[in-house]
Amino acid sequence: MPITVENLTHTYQQGSPFQATAIRDISLTIRDGEALALIGHTGSGKSTLAQHLNALLTPTSGRVLLDGRDINNREVSKRAVRFEVGLVFQYPEHQLFEETVARDIGFGPRNMGLSEAEVDARVRAAMDMVGLSYETMKDKSPFELSGGQMRRVALAGVLAMRPRILVLDEPTAGLDPRARDYLLSDIARLHSDGTTVVMISHSMDDVARLATRVAVLEQGRLVMEGAPNDVFMQVDRLGAMGLDVPAASRLVHGLRARGIDLPDCCLLDELADLLEKLLKGGTGHAS
Amino acid sequence: MLRDITLGQYYPIDSPIHRLDPRAKILLTVGFIVAVFLVGSLPGYIPIVLFLVLVVRLSRLPVNMMLRSLKPLRILLVFTFVLNMFFGTGERELFRLGFIVVKEDGLMNAVRFSARLIFLVVGSSVLTLTTAPVTLTDGLERLASPLKRIGFPAHEMAMMMTIALRFIPTLTEEADKIMKAQSARGADFSTGNLKARAKAMIPLLVPLFVSAFRRAGDLAMAMEARCYHGGEGRTRLHVLRYRRGDAVAFGAMALLIAVVVLQGRLQ
Repeated sequence: MPITVENLTHTYQQGSPFQATAIRDISLTIRDGEALALIGHTGSGKSTLAQHLNALLTPTSGRVLLDGRDINNREVSKRAVRFEVGLVFQYPEHQLFEETVARDIGFGPRNMGLSEAEVDARVRAAMDMVGLSYETMKDKSPFELSGGQMRRVALAGVLAMRPRILVLDEPTAGLDPRARDYLLSDIARLHSDGTTVVMISHSMDDVARLATRVAVLEQGRLVMEGAPNDVFMQVDRLGAMGLDVPAASRLVHGLRARGIDLPDCCLLDELADLLEKLLKGGTGHAS
Repeated sequence: MLRDITLGQYYPIDSPIHRLDPRAKILLTVGFIVAVFLVGSLPGYIPIVLFLVLVVRLSRLPVNMMLRSLKPLRILLVFTFVLNMFFGTGERELFRLGFIVVKEDGLMNAVRFSARLIFLVVGSSVLTLTTAPVTLTDGLERLASPLKRIGFPAHEMAMMMTIALRFIPTLTEEADKIMKAQSARGADFSTGNLKARAKAMIPLLVPLFVSAFRRAGDLAMAMEARCYHGGEGRTRLHVLRYRRGDAVAFGAMALLIAVVVLQGRLQ
């Protein structure tokens, strides 16, 4: 159980006229090796929750445990926690600052106090993981790259620290379909290589593709949690919160309403196979 | 982190003082400053104090909020007090400790100048605490518009101030986000010597400048797309109008100044 969140509440600017409670009494466990998706409307507290996972925000009340240790405890080094739990912000390309791609990616490892040789090795490996060629890209300025490439440089900057747990805040926002596809494959590969992934997303199809578990936030509270198939089949409940469901779930929901018996499903490829079997298999449902 | 810093002091509640016309508030603040300077003796501050207490009560501002505005002034206040106290030139000595001599007029001046400083700061912070920054620049623009005839770019100045103020929260938020993003990569902004700390700012400042320029470009484009061409012939959505409250406030200020002047004459 790498991360346990216990009764977490966070209030911004407490005691001022601008105070706002972003998350209330959230309890959640993030298991080793899973891919957890956080979904919810804008302002539901997803990003606030994510920033507690590596101690960037301090809880107003409640605790966040990493391997059973309270990460906000004075004796726990927050920097060490941040190397374990890598957080990729929304639009991470806005944080690039170095003169070259390689130096920017090496910022994290260098802060870890690694030797230059080790930093270099990690930069190579991280660039490889996100599909950037070390030889052609390392000396370029990050500011002359395309949006999609910048995003991957920023992702590599976090991956180079080799975090056990990777938290991504809307990793595909603002990318064109191809860049988005690349990035999702990168994340899927990291997950299958054993990294625990926590991903915030507004794209339900991305979530359906990657997540092994989905948690739904509404107005700062955790309201639903479960396997993607279970969560996404509650089309009406999610709809009432102003949330979409993957195209496949919507189709299954609609077909069921017309009396066609289908199992839970949130992936288009899977659904296509199911429908194909159904159509070939018999005419029982046709009437 | 940075989110905790209050930028612009505006305290958004509703009160008779908040509702006053910004032009009136600016002029009244000037009037108040004049009144404070007209006071020549210690008892002369009594009407000033009464007036300030009345205004603060009317504004419904928490008193500790007012006192907080004095905090950055502590050192200056101590200096003013101590310097005046030791450099009296009068006849009557109050006490002597080695080479330190405190004279009566020195002590009086120390109290007077410190009080004057406190009243000036508290009085003008009522203006900034009760007036939203954008309303304030609006008032300034209107007050300065007669100067347009002699070529003073009142509208442009006000527009620049409004945009600058408008972007302070945006850039603060952006800076906060970048700081967090770099902290997530192990950046350390708070420890080390001066050189180390200055160096640690680079990962914050470079992205912040990039973002500020990008936003400025976007804003210029958006303004042009909506045919912005400066202040000429431009009408306003919110036209400022003096109301009865403003008249009452001007009356009260006139009374205060009259009392202060009279008191000066009588002594």
